[in-house]
This record gives sequence, C-alpha cells and structure tokens, in this order.
Amino acid sequence: MILQKASGVRIDGRKQMSKTAPLHEVLNPRFVYLPLLQQNAPLKRVVEVGASVKIGQVVALREGFGAMPIHASVSGKVTAVKKAWHSSGRMVDSIEIENDNQNQLDDAIRPEADTDRFTRDDLVQKMQNAGLSGLGGAGFPTYVKYQTKSPIDVVIVNAVECEPYLTCDYMLIEEHPEKVLKGLKYFMRAAGAKRGVVCYKAYNTGIAEALKPFLSNYPGIELRPVKDLYPAGWEKYLVQQVTGKTYANLPAEAGAIVDNSATAIVFADVVEKNIPLISRVITISGEGIKNPRNFLVPIGTPVKELVAQCGGYADGLDPAKAYYIAGGPMTGRAILIDELVVNDTLGSVIVKPFPEEKQHPACLGCGKCADVCPVYLAPTEIQRAFEMNDKNAVKALNANKCMQCGLCSYVCPSHIEISDFVLRAKELLRKA
Amino acid sequence: MARFANGKAPFLRMSDARDYGTGVIQRDFMIALVPLILFAFYKNGVQVYLDGNIAFAEMFYPIFFILAGGFMSTLLEGLYFTITDKSVRTMKALGMKLKTSYAAIPGLLLAMIVPLYTPIWVLIFGCIVATLVGKMIFGGFGYNTWNPALLGYVAIAFTLYGVINDAGGALNASEVLVDAVGGATPLGVLAGADAISYATLVAPYGTLWNFFIGTIPGALAETSALACLIAYAWLVFRKVIKWYVPAVFVGTVFVLSWLIGVIAGEPGIWFPLYSIFSGGLMFGAVLMATEPVTTPRNPLGKLFFALFLGVFTVLFRFVGNLPEGVATAILFMNIFTLPIDNWTAIIRSEGLNKKSWGRFAILVALILFIALYGVLKAGGTYSAAILLPQIGGLIR
Repeated sequence: MILQKASGVRIDGRKQMSKTAPLHEVLNPRFVYLPLLQQNAPLKRVVEVGASVKIGQVVALREGFGAMPIHASVSGKVTAVKKAWHSSGRMVDSIEIENDNQNQLDDAIRPEADTDRFTRDDLVQKMQNAGLSGLGGAGFPTYVKYQTKSPIDVVIVNAVECEPYLTCDYMLIEEHPEKVLKGLKYFMRAAGAKRGVVCYKAYNTGIAEALKPFLSNYPGIELRPVKDLYPAGWEKYLVQQVTGKTYANLPAEAGAIVDNSATAIVFADVVEKNIPLISRVITISGEGIKNPRNFLVPIGTPVKELVAQCGGYADGLDPAKAYYIAGGPMTGRAILIDELVVNDTLGSVIVKPFPEEKQHPACLGCGKCADVCPVYLAPTEIQRAFEMNDKNAVKALNANKCMQCGLCSYVCPSHIEISDFVLRAKELLRKA
Repeated sequence: MARFANGKAPFLRMSDARDYGTGVIQRDFMIALVPLILFAFYKNGVQVYLDGNIAFAEMFYPIFFILAGGFMSTLLEGLYFTITDKSVRTMKALGMKLKTSYAAIPGLLLAMIVPLYTPIWVLIFGCIVATLVGKMIFGGFGYNTWNPALLGYVAIAFTLYGVINDAGGALNASEVLVDAVGGATPLGVLAGADAISYATLVAPYGTLWNFFIGTIPGALAETSALACLIAYAWLVFRKVIKWYVPAVFVGTVFVLSWLIGVIAGEPGIWFPLYSIFSGGLMFGAVLMATEPVTTPRNPLGKLFFALFLGVFTVLFRFVGNLPEGVATAILFMNIFTLPIDNWTAIIRSEGLNKKSWGRFAILVALILFIALYGVLKAGGTYSAAILLPQIGGLIR
C-alpha cells in the first residue's frame, strides 16, 4: 500500500472537443518538409535537389542503430534542403518537396496477392524496408523490437491514448477498425506470438464497438479495457496488466511487444499494399484552436496548413500568452514559432492559452509528487541531490527510472517545475 | 508567423485551478483548528462562566488568547519582511508576501498548546522564537527544519515555566477549586508517580470519558481527543494529511504503553487509553507530526517517521520522565527528517532488494531497539516500585 501503490491519476481528458469533426483524410499540402532527423539520429539524404520523386521513393537513410529508409510522402520535385521546426524543439535540415498533386506512386507500392506466404523474417524485413517507427511518440524503430531473441507470447496494441486532448488514435480506429486487427495479426506472426491484445481506456467504448464485429475472424486477439488513469498507456503498465509480469528495460523480457494502434494500421498497409510509412494521424486541438479536429496527413506537412483547416486560432488568442505544444500536454514541448512540420513522432499540436494568473508559494513538502510517481521515485529528494550536484545521490535515488510522465509537476500544489528538475538530474547522470 | 510563449511540460497543472493548491491546503488546515479552538472556548470559558467562577467578558479570553498568538506571529513576520526584504515596499507587496507564507499558523498553534494563564508577554516571547528563529531564519515558509510552534513551546517550557505557574498555570478557575487534582495535569502526575494505578492516574480527573472528551486539566486547546479526532477526519477527508501518520504514531504509543502496563503488572486496557488521551499526543499526532514542511515527503518516510515518533514519545514520557514527551519527540525527529527521507526514498524506489534491505533493516532495528529499551526500562521502573517491598529490591 505504502511501499508500492498502484499509481495513476484521473485527468480531465478534454477529448470531446476534437471528436466532433470527422477525421480529415484528404490533404495535399503544396510543400512538405521531411526532417533529416529521427529520434536523435541524423539521416543521410539520398536525393539531389531538383530531382523528381514519387510517393514511397526512398529519399533518406537512417544509419547505424535502427538503420532504415525514409520515403517521400508526396510526389513532386525536391526543391531545397531547408531548416524547419522539428517537434524536438530545434530547427532541423529538411528535404523540401514541392507537391505536383499527381499522387504518382513508386513502383514498389503494389498490392500483395498472398500475404500468407510471408515468414517471420519476411515481415520483420518489411517493417525495416517501410521505415516503420512507433507512432505513439517515442519513434522507436519497430523492426528492432521484433528482432528480439526472447520468446514473445503476446503482442499488445496500445490504443489507450492517455494524454488529454488527444483523440487521433481513437478517430483512426473508428475509421479503419479492421486494419488494427490485421496489423496486429501480422505483428503476431512477425513475433511468433499466439496472443494479441488491444488495450483501450474503459470509458472509450467506441473502440470496443468498432472492433467487436471483426473479432471473430482474428483468432487469438482479445480486447482489454484499462482504467481511465494517467499514465495507463505506459508500456510497462500495459505489459503488467496483460501478462502480470514486469521488466527492467524492454517489454520483450516479459515476453511482450507493445505497439501503438496507428502503427498497427500502417503495418497492415505495409504488408498488404507495400505502402511504407508516409503519413500519420495528428490531433490539432486545445482551447486556442477554433475548430479542433484530427487529420491523416503526409509526413512533412506544415502544421500551419492544418491549423488553417481548423479555422485558425481561436478569436482573441494572444500568442505571447499561450503555449504551442508539440505532442500531448503532459509530455509535449513548447514550440516558440508556429512553423512546425509533421514528423513521424508528432501525434498532436495543442494550442493552449495561459491559465488564470495565480500566486504560488514555496514547496511545502506535502509529498504528493512521491505519492503519484508510477515508478515510486521521490522527486523532491532528486531535486535536492541535483541542487547539490551530487551525482551519486541522484543515481542512488534511481532518477534514471523516471519516464517523464509529468505527473509530479501536474499534482504539485505549489506549481513547482519538479519534473524538470528530475529531467535535469537525469542529464547530470548522462554527463558523468 | 506568430511567436508563442515558452514553458515546461506538463502544460496542465492541478494548481492552475482555483480550488487546488498550497493555499487551499493551508486554509483546510486552519479550518481543522476550529473544533479545537471551540472546545477550548467551551472548556476554559463557557463552562467556567457557567460555574460562576469568572465574569462574562472573561469567558472570551481563550479565544482572544489564541487569536493574539496568530496576530503576533503575523505581525512579527510582517516586520521581518519589511526589514529584510527589499522587494517589500508597499503594504500591498507585504500583503502578497504574507499571503503565500501563512504567517498566522505558528502563533495560533503555539497559543493552543501553552497553559491558559500564560502571560501575554511570555506568549510574545514564544512567538518570537517560533516565527523568527523557528521559521524566518531558515528562509521562511517551506524551509524550516523544526516545527516553529513546537520550538516556541519548548523555548517557553524550558525557560519560563515558573512564570507561567506563578501566573496561574494550566488550571482554569474551576479546576483550581477541585481538591483531588492537587494542581497538576495528568502527565504531571504520571511523571511523579512511581507505580501505575488507576486510583492516582485517572480517578482524580473523573473517568477515561473525561480524558476522551477533554475535560481534564491541561494546555489550552489540546486536551480533547474528540476534537482532535474531528480535525483528523476533516484533514484526511481533504487529503491534507496521510491517514496513517497519526494512526501509526498514536497506535505505537498505545501498544507500547500497554506493554509497559503489562510488565508493570497492570494489564488493564485503561492504561494505554489513558496514555494516548492525555497530554498533547492526539494534538501533536494530528497537527504536528503531519506538518508537511518538517516531516519526510515520501509515503514510506512518513510511515517510518510516525513509528519513530511513537517509540521516542514513549521513551521520553516514561523513561525520560519529561511531562511532555510528544513535543520533544517531534522536535527531535525533525532533525532526522532529511536522512529518513533520503533513505526511505532509496528503499521505495528500489523496492526491497540487495541494494536497499540494509537501510531498511537498520531503520527497523533502530525502532525495535528503542521501543524495547523504553518498554523494559519503564516497565521495570514501575514494577520495581510495586514489587520492592516484597522481594527486597532484587529487580532494581
């Protein structure tokens, strides 16, 4: 009870605002900007400026760990290599492609007549060739997970989406329910797993209703509601809910692989139509957006065009008194200039005016941050160790276990940037 | 192109809401004091007036006294800010400062735990120690090591108790007239007693029911276990305190007192009940052992802290023969808040494994050792007194 309490906080989801409008799927941006950066790995460009490209043509390569190709998301002409704002909060060299609106497909994109012939290795190879990376936010190369040597019993599709405001996974499942199950079926084959589980939030009955009619055609796949808590979508939490086991570093240690539902939908297309990762779904929401909604867009689309489709910013929005958040409001990052482009990990852009001004006192030591921490850390102790620059203490307090869910700052009654202290303490360790 | 503001994740905060935050926590804490103050007003004001022992206006003295404490510490903190803080130039700036530093609380609490007839100038002295030494010198709200009110209390108790006794002490005008009491509070009697007996410890004050309700001599507002339980229920309901801190603290004292009674040949359940209802134990457990600034932050730390408080209270009360073990125990444990917090944070984040069990074992061993020593020593002292005539001092 006190030593290791099942943690999680119910957060007002504010999801309704972006659920009313249907998923917007047709969008042809005039330019796309493919960032030459994935996670922390710079990409190697393989097309020259001036070359014409087709949808699905390889334009860049990720090398070293997670090596895989990156594909053009529209057809047209490579016009420049420009700096563009990336969801990591930096400006990153990007390949600018001018869209010719012809939607010419690369020769590699063709339907597969017989998907049953693919072996486990074939499927993993397909993930790599398609440049498939996790669309949930971390952007981990998917095929690397399936190259594991550990035996995998279960593949979990994560449709929990526990960040407030975000509805993109939900809307995409509503639109393509069967593809989720297809993608999961192929994932299970790629992992050699007999069991597949789709996890979703218990109140989100729409997901269960959308998937149930197809379930009988997919043996071994089950639905699993989880509690409406943050961070219920955390990999470790899901693995523990489904398998009852826990692990230190990778879910594979517990015989599980976790993939986002949007990744599963893309993988269904990868296997059946050889369409690589060229588009993703994104929520544009927040009180600072006039008509929040979801989009399925080519990767590299400027977010500005999406905001324009939403009717622009809310009336009377003062940008100097609002956040422009890349990612969810709990873990996202404030972007200072609204020139962001959609990359593979960007699941949402939230525009949120400042809350009412309020005066905040010093830390009173209530310990709510330690109460809610899903990995049982003591954030105030880590802050103290960090302020004394004591690396050993930071290490002893297991600061590295922090996965930056942001709950400690969220519950802090004194509005202290406590999760930021933990983040900086982790950086202190990395420097050592 | 628009320029947006910079900020840090998460962009949603509970503290953005009007009805959540440190201010609300402190407000709820002050509300918890109301039943205690009302009881003090009833016991030391209304009841005494109805007995015909004081004039009507005097009836309000307990409330005036407590408010005077709150006022004094606010005034002192305001003076401190005006002198030391250059950013405080206007009354408005000062008001803002005081608003987020909750200046009244130390003085209020201090006035509640001193005897009724403490001269005002002694109270002021206590407030100076509490607010200036206990709180402001450490850096103000959120940075103090010791519980300010208790520091003020101990400063008074160790230097000016004679003055308080000369001025009338803890007994109100009605209690003075009761012969059986003999001018002592229950724990004063215990400190002087060499055996555990219902006749000397409880009977002079009525029954245990009086102890529970609080109609026994003692400090101004801390005698009522009932009022403390109401405050406890409110604070737990409002999530200001952890339910298990007072429960474990009081529970430990209960169990150890019972063991002492058993060893001393008095296994009746009245003795542990007497032990937890007398003195400032309930008050201290609900309002001071849970005080967030000076106690550990993480849940496991709070648990260990409460256990330590329990064993030290027993040690100080029964072995140290201090009339008030609770205040000493809390102030003493405040010193160890940081190391306990650090150790328990490591234990909790590791779980019990190779790296952490050593620390865990040391903490548990310390508690067991102090508890065992306190129980055997105190139990031995009391039983020796009983058995001495018969077995000729073999035990002693």
